[in-house]
Amino acid sequence: MAAGVAAWLPFARAAAIGWMPVASAPMPTPPREKRRTQDGLIILNVSGTKFQTWRNTLERYPDTLLGSTERDFFFHEESNEYFFDRDPDIFRHILNFYRTGKLHYPRHECISAYDEELAFFGIIPEIIGDCCYEEYKDRRRENAERIQDDEDNENNNDLVSPDMTLRQSMWRAFENPHTSTMALVFYYVTGFFIAVSVMANVVETVPCGSSPNRVKDISCGERYALAFFCLDTACVMIFTVEYLLRLLAAPSRYKFVKSVMSIIDVVAIMPYYIGLVMTDNEDVSGAFVTLRVFRVFRIFKFSRHSAGLRILGYTLKSCASELGFLLFSLTMAIIIFATVMFYAEKGSTASKFTSIPAAFWYTIVTMTTLGYGDMVPKTIVGKIFGSICSLSGVLVIALPVPVIVSNFSRIYHQSQRAEKRRAQKKTRLARIRAAKIGGASAYLQYKRNGLLGDRLDEASKEAGQALVTKTSATFENQHHHLLHCLEKTTNHEFVDEQTYESSCMEVSLTNQARSRSSSVSSSQHGLSSCCSRRNKRKSFHVPNSTTGADRHGSIQELSTIQIQERPLSNSRASLNAKLDETAQLNCDQPFLTAAIISMPTPPVTTPEGDESTSSADYLQSNIVRVSAL
Amino acid sequence: MSGCRKRCKRQIFKFAQYVFRIITGTLSTDSIDDEQEQYTIRHRPEALEQLEAQTQFTKKELQILYRGFKNECPSGVVNEETFKGIYSQFFPQGDASRYAHFLFNAFDTDHNGSVNFEDFALGLSTLLRGSVQEKLNWAFNLYDINKDGYITKDEMLDIMRAIYSMMGRCTYPVLKDDAPRQHVEIFFQKMDKNKDGVVTIDEFIDCCQNDENIMRSMQLFENVI
Repeated sequence: MAAGVAAWLPFARAAAIGWMPVASAPMPTPPREKRRTQDGLIILNVSGTKFQTWRNTLERYPDTLLGSTERDFFFHEESNEYFFDRDPDIFRHILNFYRTGKLHYPRHECISAYDEELAFFGIIPEIIGDCCYEEYKDRRRENAERIQDDEDNENNNDLVSPDMTLRQSMWRAFENPHTSTMALVFYYVTGFFIAVSVMANVVETVPCGSSPNRVKDISCGERYALAFFCLDTACVMIFTVEYLLRLLAAPSRYKFVKSVMSIIDVVAIMPYYIGLVMTDNEDVSGAFVTLRVFRVFRIFKFSRHSAGLRILGYTLKSCASELGFLLFSLTMAIIIFATVMFYAEKGSTASKFTSIPAAFWYTIVTMTTLGYGDMVPKTIVGKIFGSICSLSGVLVIALPVPVIVSNFSRIYHQSQRAEKRRAQKKTRLARIRAAKIGGASAYLQYKRNGLLGDRLDEASKEAGQALVTKTSATFENQHHHLLHCLEKTTNHEFVDEQTYESSCMEVSLTNQARSRSSSVSSSQHGLSSCCSRRNKRKSFHVPNSTTGADRHGSIQELSTIQIQERPLSNSRASLNAKLDETAQLNCDQPFLTAAIISMPTPPVTTPEGDESTSSADYLQSNIVRVSAL
Repeated sequence: MSGCRKRCKRQIFKFAQYVFRIITGTLSTDSIDDEQEQYTIRHRPEALEQLEAQTQFTKKELQILYRGFKNECPSGVVNEETFKGIYSQFFPQGDASRYAHFLFNAFDTDHNGSVNFEDFALGLSTLLRGSVQEKLNWAFNLYDINKDGYITKDEMLDIMRAIYSMMGRCTYPVLKDDAPRQHVEIFFQKMDKNKDGVVTIDEFIDCCQNDENIMRSMQLFENVI
């Protein structure tokens, strides 16, 4: 909760008077205020720069150094001030946090120095305000990366630790060829063979001179078929060995198989094996020839060796939508102009524009300003539209391309930033929710600890036991008291999510359990608790035999809370018998059993005016309800 | 139907403007809505002595109050949104905005839509330092939404729903839909002596003064400041 709002707690508590006339239960007593120390000024001397603030301002955050008694360690008797030997510039921000509830990060400060100051004063960095949070996280990440890089460099210079398994060291050799000489050799050898393989693919189609009994030239591939085959075999064997080794060494084989590089590897070597399998079958040799085309994919294996290629691939992928739009607009223009040209040239004789698809070729060639000249319009109308086509071609093609190029860099950087922001946003929302739930659950925690009111103090003191009471902040006490008043007004209690969920799940069971309500009363004795106050809604029949329990006993019960998991029939059947039968339930009665522990208090009230149920032994008590799943 | 036609006309006009701008090549113009001068409402409270005379707080208490007030609302007045926001922070599980709305109306005695520090201090003075009569008066004023001197069942139901909505969803026992209504029934049974369906201020005060629980709980928050 923001510090500023803490100042409004008195107002919220005063406004609670509005609930009093409608409350159906008596209100709990407010927490005892400690003697109100006069709110005085505190002088904080930070390396000579004096800061002054109210004591209450600092005590808003009792879990920091300045807000707790830890600051007494820094108290300087002679000058009656608190002296800190720290950086005064950064301290300014820390003190502002106490004043305004928002922590800011100054951009000009070094991130490590700032973090150190925060750690010293016990402030967690997560509460940095929205305005400065992104900057802070960015700087922090940069710093962490810098440290990480330094460590990595150190690590890389180290020799391989002997603990690494063969598999791990192999994988490391594959991924970082600079680590060892063997890896480097392997890296260059594979690179060489990729180049050789690609060159062989290219060269084997070059015509090599004619053989005597053939008319046309034959390609080198057919002439030196055996040599090329041997070369191809050698390359493929090396690639296969490399692929298998990578597969073996990969830490996650499944991930490796799915990766792009491994798919390229497979596609590069498959044609050879398929070719081996079906050599002499005439029917499929045509398909086999097509497969050889895939050998050119070997060139993509270079991307392991070249980072630039990888970046290009990535940017193409990320600009896919822009490219798609370019394609779409081109297609639109092509179709439009092809149609127009077709109908314009329909009249002329021996026109090459036989159909609209045939006109596509003309349109593309014209729009990209190629102008082969194999198809030309002959009519005047055709020429007019042809010129419009070529003019617009310049526009359609030339304009998006620079936009795409600039989009590359813009989108690339933007997506990086958006990713950052999205990740930060998720964690931020999670933090905020956690803080909110924390605030809510703080009250539930408080209830569970059974520390409502100072009854516990009185009772424990009289019982002679010195119970260690948690010293929670006054503000928290008052806030919890306020929430408790609300509970009493509405006769419902706050519970956490899980309890609520579990209570919602037992819809049908209570209906069955109604019939078994007869057996309930006897089993109530099993509950180890004292009497409860009869209430229209919380009607737990507990025997009044324990009314005479002395305080000591009740304290013992407090310390050893017996929570029994009861079958549903017991827990709520009795309630159902008493509750308004006609009431519609949103969601069923909770399944759990509440162990009621009451501490005897001085007699306070008579039964509320409208209670229809008579209460024979009406012992007032402050019910501390402990719910258990 | 005429509204539809007007909207259509406006859209067509906008589209024509847009086409014109495309053709003539004006770059996107800056939006020419008039610079609304944000008149930041600022308010200075009356002097400390005057407030001290009007309320029952000491100077020191007023100082503390004002510091807190000004911290959250630097402009010196609270509008309903800020009020709701502040009040909701105390009740994280549920939705405190409806009750905050009623509270705001109760504090905003001159009904001008904003609560300045005098209203705030006067209200708090009544609540914390006033006599029981005054407190009950204030509570009656809170419940009487339309300020006509009678609390009807509907008004009470609104208030009750607002209070229950502050509890949120996760309650034990589970909140039933008609829990507020039942509570209102109980309230009216207790308060409405002549069974005419409304509670007047006299019935209210009378009944509360006879109820020990309520009397006691009224004294609960005396030492809040």
